[in-house]
Amino acid sequence: MANSNLPRRIIKETQRLLSEPAPGISASPSEDNMRYFNVMILGPTQSPYEGGVFKLELFLPEEYPMAAPKVRFLTKIYHPNIDKLGRICLDILKDKWSPALQIRTVLLSIQALLSAPNPDDPLSENIAKHWKTNEAEAVETAKEWTRLYASGA
Amino acid sequence: MDKLTSELEIIQKVRSVFPHLLPYDIDRAIRHCNGDTDKAIALLYESPEFTLIVKRTLTSTGSRVSAHIKSEPSDESEPLDSKKAVKIERVRDSECVIESLDGKISVKDEAVESDDVLQRKPKEENVSESVSFQAQMIESEKKSVAVEVKEEKKEIKEETNDEFKSFETFLKKKTLLCPKPISQVPLTVKKYEYGVLDLGPSSGSVDDGDFPEEHDWLLVGRTTITGLSTTKGRKLEFNEIVDFHFPCLDPRKKCSSQFASRASAAASEIVRFSTRRNGEIGRLPMEWAKCLNPLVSSSKVKVLARCVAAPPRLQLMQEIVLYASFYIHRSIFTEGDRSSWKLNAYNNIDSTTHPLPTLFKLLKIKPYKEAEFTPEELDSRKRLLNLQDDSDDAEALSLGGKRRKVAQHPEASNDEQVLSESSLNKIVGAVDEYRLEEMEPPLTLACELRPYQKQALHWMSESEKGIDVEKASETLHPCWAAYRICDWRASAIYLNTFSGEATTQLSKATQMARGGILADAMGLGKTVMTIALILGRTGKVVYDDRPMAVDTEPVCNGKLGKVHQTKVEQKVKGGTLIVCPMALLGQWKDELETHSRPESISVSVHYGARTNDPRVLSEHDVVLTTYGVLTSAYKNDGEDSIFHRVDWYRVVLDEAHTIKSWRSQGAQAAFTLSAHCRWCLTGTPIQNNLEDLYSLLCFLHVEPWRNWAWWHRLIQRPYESGDQRGLRLIRAILQPLMLRRTKETKDKEGRPILVLPPTDIRIIECEQSEAERDFYDALFKRSKVQFDQFVAQGKVLHNYASILELLLRLRQCCNHPFLVMSRSDKQNYLDVNKLAKRFLEIDSTSQNSSTPSRAYVEEVVDGIRRDENAECPICLESADDPILTPCAHRMCRECLLSSWRTTTTGFCPICRKLLNKNELITCPSENRFNIDIKKNWKESSKVSKLLACLEGIRHSGSGEKSIVFSQWTSFLDLLEIPLSGRGFNFLRFDGKLVQKQRERVLMEFTHSSDKTVLLMSLKAGGVGLNLTAASNVFLMDPWWNPAVEEQAIMRIHRIGQKRTVCVRRFIVKDTVEERLQQVQARKQGMIAGALTDEEVRSARIEELKMLFR
Repeated sequence: MANSNLPRRIIKETQRLLSEPAPGISASPSEDNMRYFNVMILGPTQSPYEGGVFKLELFLPEEYPMAAPKVRFLTKIYHPNIDKLGRICLDILKDKWSPALQIRTVLLSIQALLSAPNPDDPLSENIAKHWKTNEAEAVETAKEWTRLYASGA
Repeated sequence: MDKLTSELEIIQKVRSVFPHLLPYDIDRAIRHCNGDTDKAIALLYESPEFTLIVKRTLTSTGSRVSAHIKSEPSDESEPLDSKKAVKIERVRDSECVIESLDGKISVKDEAVESDDVLQRKPKEENVSESVSFQAQMIESEKKSVAVEVKEEKKEIKEETNDEFKSFETFLKKKTLLCPKPISQVPLTVKKYEYGVLDLGPSSGSVDDGDFPEEHDWLLVGRTTITGLSTTKGRKLEFNEIVDFHFPCLDPRKKCSSQFASRASAAASEIVRFSTRRNGEIGRLPMEWAKCLNPLVSSSKVKVLARCVAAPPRLQLMQEIVLYASFYIHRSIFTEGDRSSWKLNAYNNIDSTTHPLPTLFKLLKIKPYKEAEFTPEELDSRKRLLNLQDDSDDAEALSLGGKRRKVAQHPEASNDEQVLSESSLNKIVGAVDEYRLEEMEPPLTLACELRPYQKQALHWMSESEKGIDVEKASETLHPCWAAYRICDWRASAIYLNTFSGEATTQLSKATQMARGGILADAMGLGKTVMTIALILGRTGKVVYDDRPMAVDTEPVCNGKLGKVHQTKVEQKVKGGTLIVCPMALLGQWKDELETHSRPESISVSVHYGARTNDPRVLSEHDVVLTTYGVLTSAYKNDGEDSIFHRVDWYRVVLDEAHTIKSWRSQGAQAAFTLSAHCRWCLTGTPIQNNLEDLYSLLCFLHVEPWRNWAWWHRLIQRPYESGDQRGLRLIRAILQPLMLRRTKETKDKEGRPILVLPPTDIRIIECEQSEAERDFYDALFKRSKVQFDQFVAQGKVLHNYASILELLLRLRQCCNHPFLVMSRSDKQNYLDVNKLAKRFLEIDSTSQNSSTPSRAYVEEVVDGIRRDENAECPICLESADDPILTPCAHRMCRECLLSSWRTTTTGFCPICRKLLNKNELITCPSENRFNIDIKKNWKESSKVSKLLACLEGIRHSGSGEKSIVFSQWTSFLDLLEIPLSGRGFNFLRFDGKLVQKQRERVLMEFTHSSDKTVLLMSLKAGGVGLNLTAASNVFLMDPWWNPAVEEQAIMRIHRIGQKRTVCVRRFIVKDTVEERLQQVQARKQGMIAGALTDEEVRSARIEELKMLFR
């Protein structure tokens, strides 16, 4: 019912996501709502999140692709641009959204954000402060959280 | 008092472990263990036969009476034992006196059970006692207790009495807190019981022991129930009263103790019954248990019963026949006006057995008015193969099925899913003739209304008053059945066969807020009718009957389940809010101004305004806004948006099908507006799918259809599976709610309400020239090879898009071979070079970093040159009407423009460069012809025929104007050549024009006398186009769906048309065009309900095969 009016673009994107998934990323639509995706991102190597499996949810609003998808981390993560509710501070998800971006590119951007935390544009003030004052310790915490919450168990 | 409470606690504790034991036994057990709870539990747990031992002890000690007096209150102390609750209720009646006596009598019976002589004696004694009490009319129970106690034994102290009294008050409180009544045998029957015993069982007749009329309980009916014994060795007396023990459904109880959980798991749903003398004797059959459990636990139904037949000595699993009376509580008849009663525990919409209807069925109470729809019928899910009896329905249903099929193939063009008007009429049932009163328009209306418009005005006004609508729909809601119960005091009970909901209010087919759907076909003047309504009822006067209008009840919307609680008191009262598509905003404003006398109403357009003060809106009689503005306001502020903070008198949704997807924000924004009256204006209440209608009903707050599960279950699913009842139900819902007239609708005298000149529709068959034929054949053979390949591989449906592409070429070839040549040959384009040059110029002039690199431009241009139709980055389709940005990015024009916030500038989606609309470069594919078509111009047979027609009109000198429709703008390009060549003055209207240009073109076409031909792309005509200046329509190519063509014709054939409208369809003989028509006909003939998905798929392949035959 809900899916019968699904724009071609979403169908195409979904097919491509499933047939040629981006490395380290899996996204599959929910069965009852094709606009809702269950996403898993592997923590990038050389980052404090390495070895972690992070679950996210992604929802394509009615206006998509004219409006950005809504993405949120479900797995707890220690990152200056991600708050405790899993919300992500990423420009392309907000004012820098462009309809030429896709689910894949959004998820790749998020993966990149894991590789390169940006404490200068924080969402989580405390974590950002921690990052700025003692990066080594913050990275340790991030690793610890990854072990604790994202170890795939 | 303290002592009492602690005793109570102990009893309760023990009771929680042994919920099935009689309180009496528990009490004895406790007593036996000197009040030690744990010991008592252990005792009861280990020796189930304890009860018997205790009894003996009691009788032998002779301390029976004192024990009894004490045990009676402690017996009553059991709040879980719902017997007591009823008992206490009865305490308020005068008869209560004897009630408490009865308790004693039965206790006594138990004690002396074995001795026949003894048994009879005290009974007689007690009957006389009770009678004497009644005669004395003793009013309060405590007094009676006192009296009785004195008479029976003198051992009772005043203290006991006091204890009892305080205990009773305690109980009363307790009862209020614990709403769990269960049947208690009323007193008079008890008397009867003893009487029968006196006379001997043989003389009793079942029927005479009427339970007394109780003020609060109305008799539903009586029946015999055959229960099964669960004990053996007991002896039942004829007409012996049985008590029911309903399993405790309270979830809190379950975890109260480890023992209890064990017990409750075992008890599950079983309803047991017992007698005073024997304790538990049997259980009810499951069908009764299932139905009674929820009913009794709802405290609105109670059961009284006695045994009428049983084997002389019971064995296990023997039949015990009970005669039971069912009562329903008065409160369901009196609570509020519009209240209805529904069992909350059974909210699951998909459960089709509901206790109350089941009870009625078990009681064999037949509804005096049956529901048209019952779950049993729908559940049988019969596939109705034989639909011949009602061909209209069948056709409408087959359309439903078709919709479904189409939806499975999103590749098929969107337009294919649009319902044709005639199909729409079949579904929603347009009425041929309305016998409606007319109403004179308000004086402030500055134009004349036609009679049918006055009728609409009357209908709308009455709908807003909410009177006539109800009168007109005094038919019972098709899902409800009406019952009469035995008790003459009760009014009829209406029972919903699906939800089990019961009410005493007649449930009309629709329960709604005021308003409705004005669904007159296109061109009947819905706007004017609405304006007349607004002028007549601005809503600025004090609302006549305000209270029921405002929706404050929580809106539970199917899956969303969101509860909106609107705060009415904070809202300012407003006038009329009109929400329309942006394109119609200006038209509404103009019409409001031209059709109303000056100063009669104030109109404000709320579009892009900065204010967020609802009072600004409420100052005006009419506020105009667009769906976009409303949606974004709702998105930002939810129900605190400026629109939601006004309590509107009336909300009108123009082109209401805009909100057809009810899950969308836009639809939700409209649903949550607070309004006294709601109106939907739409010529197409259903556009693609029946679901579209659901959204409108949600907006109108039509109950109960706002519940998605209901809608889906009762309408959508039956409809889609080809069940006619779904269709009938829709019509029943819509009947009072919707006014739909078409141009064919007749007035009272049988004249059409709107006299339009006739249409003359003809098909012009074209015969291809030899050259054309050769070309077509070559193309066809090539395509067929490819298609056959797909068939051989079994991948027809996988390659659906490619096949459509093949068909597209063939169809275009029928119009003009040039259309195909332009694509298939890959030679250099002259203009590609031009384009490349232009880019490179840009590159050289501005050294700006945002300009693309030379290499990139070359690559792009090369791509174009090779006719690589790159994928548009926005829609991911091969770009349609592609443009190039100055930054050399290629995409669909439409996609790019719709991504911009303003109409003139925006960012490039790829590189975010700020672009201006006039910087966009139309890709060379606009001129899709790789030969110099002007120099080598050759008419195709179709073009020749068209030109002949146009020449004919020109020579007639009538000055008639013509519109030429094609679905391909490239074909319109081609047509421009011969038209100019022959000196026709023509205009062109297609998707590339911006709004302003469109208006200008239409204006010019309407008013100039020399522009006689308008070339129009079939898809471009937006809403509300009025092309009545023309009277000739040329449809150059058949469209997949005739509905689209119908709409095109409708723009010409509407109010204001003074001439006969000539429609000419061009079909090329022996080509795919002709077969396309056959496929259409075949589709119409299929009855979709009878097809499985597999069949649908194979039918689809068959269709394609037909085309490639």
